[in-house]
Amino acid sequence: MTIRAVQKISTGRNGVGSFILQCKKMNFHYCDWAGSSRGMNGFIKSLLPKFAASNPQVEFTVSPRPSKHPLIVAQYINGREKSVCVRNMEPYEILKKAELLRDASGEKNKRVTKPVQSINESVRGVWSPYHGNGLRV
Amino acid sequence: MKRLRLDRWTGQLLLARPGASPASTPRAVLRPAVAAPRCTAVRCQSTGAVSQIPGEVEDYHDGTDPIRFPPLEQLPPRATSLPSPTPVRALQSAKLAALHARLSLPERLPLQTLARALVDASADENPQFNNTNLAFVGQTLINYHVAEWLMCRYPRLPMDILYAAMKGYAGPTALHHVARSWGIEHAAAPGGEVDPGLLQFSMHKPGDAITGFGYRRAEIEGMKKYKWRHGMSSRVVFDDDFGEVVDTEQSKEELRARADTEYGNEYTRSLAEKAYATCARAVAGAIYAHAGRDAAKAFIRAHVLSRTLDLSRLFAFKKPTRELSLLCAREDFEPPVARLLSETGRLSRTPVFVVGIFSGRDKLGEAAGPSLEHARNKAAMNALKSWYLYSPGEAVRVPSDMLADDAKPWEPAYIDMGEIIGR
Repeated sequence: MTIRAVQKISTGRNGVGSFILQCKKMNFHYCDWAGSSRGMNGFIKSLLPKFAASNPQVEFTVSPRPSKHPLIVAQYINGREKSVCVRNMEPYEILKKAELLRDASGEKNKRVTKPVQSINESVRGVWSPYHGNGLRV
Repeated sequence: MKRLRLDRWTGQLLLARPGASPASTPRAVLRPAVAAPRCTAVRCQSTGAVSQIPGEVEDYHDGTDPIRFPPLEQLPPRATSLPSPTPVRALQSAKLAALHARLSLPERLPLQTLARALVDASADENPQFNNTNLAFVGQTLINYHVAEWLMCRYPRLPMDILYAAMKGYAGPTALHHVARSWGIEHAAAPGGEVDPGLLQFSMHKPGDAITGFGYRRAEIEGMKKYKWRHGMSSRVVFDDDFGEVVDTEQSKEELRARADTEYGNEYTRSLAEKAYATCARAVAGAIYAHAGRDAAKAFIRAHVLSRTLDLSRLFAFKKPTRELSLLCAREDFEPPVARLLSETGRLSRTPVFVVGIFSGRDKLGEAAGPSLEHARNKAAMNALKSWYLYSPGEAVRVPSDMLADDAKPWEPAYIDMGEIIGR
């Protein structure tokens, strides 16, 4: 037999076939006493139930963090976590931050210069100097 | 340097789960005879809980003050003595509900079944509470759908490559990646008190390995000892879905060796990989059981077949030129001829030759290489790959499409006469 197989493993592309939201858990920390938590407490009372109901794929926890600034910690599928301190923020500002964390991929922030990143090979192919009519110098 | 003694750790967490501690501490592993089943009472899968039977194991109490340190979750009675969480608790698990929503699972798939899909046979030996049966169904479905899709889409794949592609899509490593990409986490040790949304498997207890298709060969001892060759035809008949030899004795020994392993080596990683793959299969099986054939097929398409695998990188040729000339003879093409298309720097340190392989007036393949021989071989490989990777199209129909009610009449799929045999 002249052909042998080399074992390779398929790679997944999130969003092709199915999309998995990368944020898997969000912890909301608040303080009952401190003034910097006033917005967070209002957020937890008024906006969080709706936000949690509209995002069933994320696990939500609310826990006190006495004598500390309020905090949102999001955990991602890739194992990383991101946290945002929301001290002195209004409830709707906190909602913005929560949406930001929910939509993040969990990767480190990177500067994106190319509009498309793909693992597919180029449709046009790589330019070759040995084909075509060549370039007269 | 002193070793960390896990069994001496007195953390609250370790004390809080005594059901798991006998198996997870190295000291206890040394005397496995003590490890008798703690729970002898009857467990029920239904939500109607059984009343406490007198004379059974009491709930463990570690002596901490329950008022100062209240438990995070109110566990049902005798939960800590069970090998896996009761199905009732699945409804209260936030992790499980989030996983259900994250995978967009059908409403008809209850959380209890999803929780069962997360319990490996090594965590709970009772087949009514672990995922072995679901995983068997799921494995059958996944392998069937991957195989039919590969065969219809790439009808000329040689058997060896087909097996490798099957393993690349549906093998344990690939499914492990799938399950990880779903955000499934695993518990440190299985037990009745862990969150039902965590994957539970034991590093130390063997459990029953999931059985697949395939036969144990009679000559397996000789194959292992003397490396007897086994041809492709016997692999098709005897071996499992990925063309790998079924070795039940070895897997039994491996399971026995579990008791002596410590955490964090290659072996325990392979056990985790196996548990994750089994869980992914079990989820597919659970969808089939509750939501039916079409939902299961759509799920497998979305999560397994949508992954990318470059099949042209699976080929390794030994004698490409000879195989190509055999192919041309078989197909009544003119014998292949290699021609130099262009070259540069023949006398330099880095020459480049572009060689094309022609059969009559048709160019079969082309490649560039640093020597004439290399370029010719590469061109022959490219020609063979373009033959083997022929595809009738991306949207090719597969036999299971005919199971839909409004299916159009079946047009026969392309079937190739087979690979080129060159010896």
